[in-house]
Amino acid sequence: MKMAGIIFSNIYDNTMAELTKHRTMASVPFGGRYRHIDFVLSNMVNSGIQSVGAITKYHYKSLMDHLGTLDEWDLDTKTGGFYLIPPFLEGQTSVYRGKIEALSGAMSFVTRCGCDYVLLSDSTVICNIDYDEILENHVASGKDVTVIANRDPHLINEPKEFVVNAYKGKVIDVALNCVTGKDDYIGMGMFIMSIDKMVEMVNDCVSRGKYHFEKDFIQKEFNDGTISLNLYEFKGTVLRNNCIVSYFENSMKLLDYKVRKEIFSKNGPIYTKVRDEKPTYYGASSEVDNCIIADGCDIRGKVENCVIFRNVTIEEGAVVKNSIIIQGTTIKKDCNIEYVVADKDVVFTEGRKLIGAPTAPVIINKGETV
Amino acid sequence: MIRRRKECVAMLLAGGQGSRLKVLTEYTAKPAVPFGGKYRIIDFPLSNCINSGIDTVGILTQYQPLELNNYIGNGRPWGLNKNYGGAHILPPYSRNGKSEWYKGTANAIYQNIHFINMYNPEYVLILSGDHIYTMDYNKMLKFHEKKKADCTIAVLDVPLKEASRFGIMTTDEEDKIFKFEEKPKNPTSTKASMGIYIFNWEVLKEYLIADENDPKSDNDFGKNIIPNLLKDGKGLYAYEFDGYWKDVGTIDSLWEANMDLLDPSSGISLGKGNKKIYARNYAAPPTEISATSDVKNSFIAEGCTIRGKVENSIIFTGCEIEKGAHIVDSVVMPNTHIMANTDVLYSIIGENVTVGKNCVVGGEPSDYDKKDWGITVIGKDNEIEDSTVIKPKEIL
Repeated sequence: MKMAGIIFSNIYDNTMAELTKHRTMASVPFGGRYRHIDFVLSNMVNSGIQSVGAITKYHYKSLMDHLGTLDEWDLDTKTGGFYLIPPFLEGQTSVYRGKIEALSGAMSFVTRCGCDYVLLSDSTVICNIDYDEILENHVASGKDVTVIANRDPHLINEPKEFVVNAYKGKVIDVALNCVTGKDDYIGMGMFIMSIDKMVEMVNDCVSRGKYHFEKDFIQKEFNDGTISLNLYEFKGTVLRNNCIVSYFENSMKLLDYKVRKEIFSKNGPIYTKVRDEKPTYYGASSEVDNCIIADGCDIRGKVENCVIFRNVTIEEGAVVKNSIIIQGTTIKKDCNIEYVVADKDVVFTEGRKLIGAPTAPVIINKGETV
Repeated sequence: MIRRRKECVAMLLAGGQGSRLKVLTEYTAKPAVPFGGKYRIIDFPLSNCINSGIDTVGILTQYQPLELNNYIGNGRPWGLNKNYGGAHILPPYSRNGKSEWYKGTANAIYQNIHFINMYNPEYVLILSGDHIYTMDYNKMLKFHEKKKADCTIAVLDVPLKEASRFGIMTTDEEDKIFKFEEKPKNPTSTKASMGIYIFNWEVLKEYLIADENDPKSDNDFGKNIIPNLLKDGKGLYAYEFDGYWKDVGTIDSLWEANMDLLDPSSGISLGKGNKKIYARNYAAPPTEISATSDVKNSFIAEGCTIRGKVENSIIFTGCEIEKGAHIVDSVVMPNTHIMANTDVLYSIIGENVTVGKNCVVGGEPSDYDKKDWGITVIGKDNEIEDSTVIKPKEIL
């Protein structure tokens, strides 16, 4: 009973402002040293999945750079391994419109990987999850598709794009872009089905011009009674990075030890690209409170409630609070920075003052000098 | 058929016990001893090799090889996973009618003549696995070629009063060596051998075979091979190296080399630009520095939780320092847990150690007589009960 994984790497690209200007959602940096895709990919590997395909649409250079030969994930194997699935792979004449059309480019991957089941997943839902257990649950249920979802009291009354209403674990209704109540399950963008079912779905939908996976397949066919749904409730911590505000809030949640334990190590470690940075140096003038800091940094200023990525320099006299400072950024002397998301390789020149707000953090583009 | 060959093959002597590192090498070969927050000693010569364009390295192992073999694996972290070349672990093995351990440094290379012949190199670079330094071997190789030498020895200028601890080379103005003395009482030069040699393979092979046939020989490079080459008037040259280099064969020197990382004037380097020191990485999340912490002049690797006070120290991957704990001038190796209100002063704490609450480990040199003070060491996997006092110089 083997399962393959397929990752959709461009979901929500347009909600992340400048962070996705040059990269896919899957390669957006998150959590001090990771990219979004590291979480779903590591969860797959830790659950014994050996064949993974990643569907991309555009801007996938950064994704390819990040993944390299996939050796960090042990997916550089003779059998199975990793496949990048860009558009126009198998004779398509246009860029796909939705997940179903995208999956038609993955048909030869799924039919040749030697697996019986497939897990379809977005890359933006951050959690540490055991897919093997869910596969067993799926098989035991005898249903066509398993929907992985959770309940979150903090998200009530917010519109969510995939909501399942269930009674005693049995799916009653599927709603899209709907405000959630307290008993509703919110989809985590992860679905399990058999490969036979997926092939049938793709052939069926593509020939009828249907392309929206959740609307045209899951919701429509469930309502028509042509497919049966199994609901798997995930009870661990879930962080959904579907817009810049939630991305900022979720980054700050990582400062909580309990959240970090859940996300980084519950079922297995999260792997990422190795960059061979030195350990981080904390100078005599440094003052660090409540931060997570990756390798290769040089910290000599005051840093509070921040997520600091690899190879960041914070000079003496600089004050950085409530911010996300991404890889390679330099903050020079006497800067005062609050509620800022600084993308890769930004330079803050001496004495800059930049203050955003929790609901609207200031975002500085990759490579800019402030 | 075109036969591929390598210009230079490196042979890394990694089989020594390192008994002067006491508990730190009880179950670990010296080259696998952790250093500098996320490295092991062997990362330095291995990274130097790949950064110098040498991609074929034989690693000679003998003493407690398990951890070292495991660490090196297929050489991938150093870019030494190759179809032709790469990292090779070379333990002693039995052959026709004979099986023996590596008797000495020269014998270890002698027993692997076939390995080196496989690559048919022009030169062989001999390295040891217990030195901390970053060096471009390629420059030394260029020097060797320019001098048309048979053997080039890397030397370091040491203070005259320390010269009697080293193998000392005396050279003419062309850097040609005419005298070599192992640990001389009255040194005539300050050029100390760093234990790094480049040989013309054909010359070395001849001398290794002759040395093996000499029953009185110690089969050692310093004691036999180099003096024999010199005696026969071969071209031996000294290549002067002026960077940071330290033999970390003792507790004191290992501690000092770690502390040198915190002192920019020491000249020690963990690599620059694209020439980094590579290490096997473990998937650890970023380090938490909490609100109760106070970190000054320290290196801290990833995967740590720091809630106490850390000063002038090196903290390796995956350590936990609880609230109220105080780490001063110390080295804390991977996955070690220091509990609340414990003081660790001038110590080396091994891997996977747990030190309970309210302990005092080691002490400030100013609080003790010189003869009673020294670096405190706690070996791997130890569990120290609450409220234990471990004095300076103690080794557990």
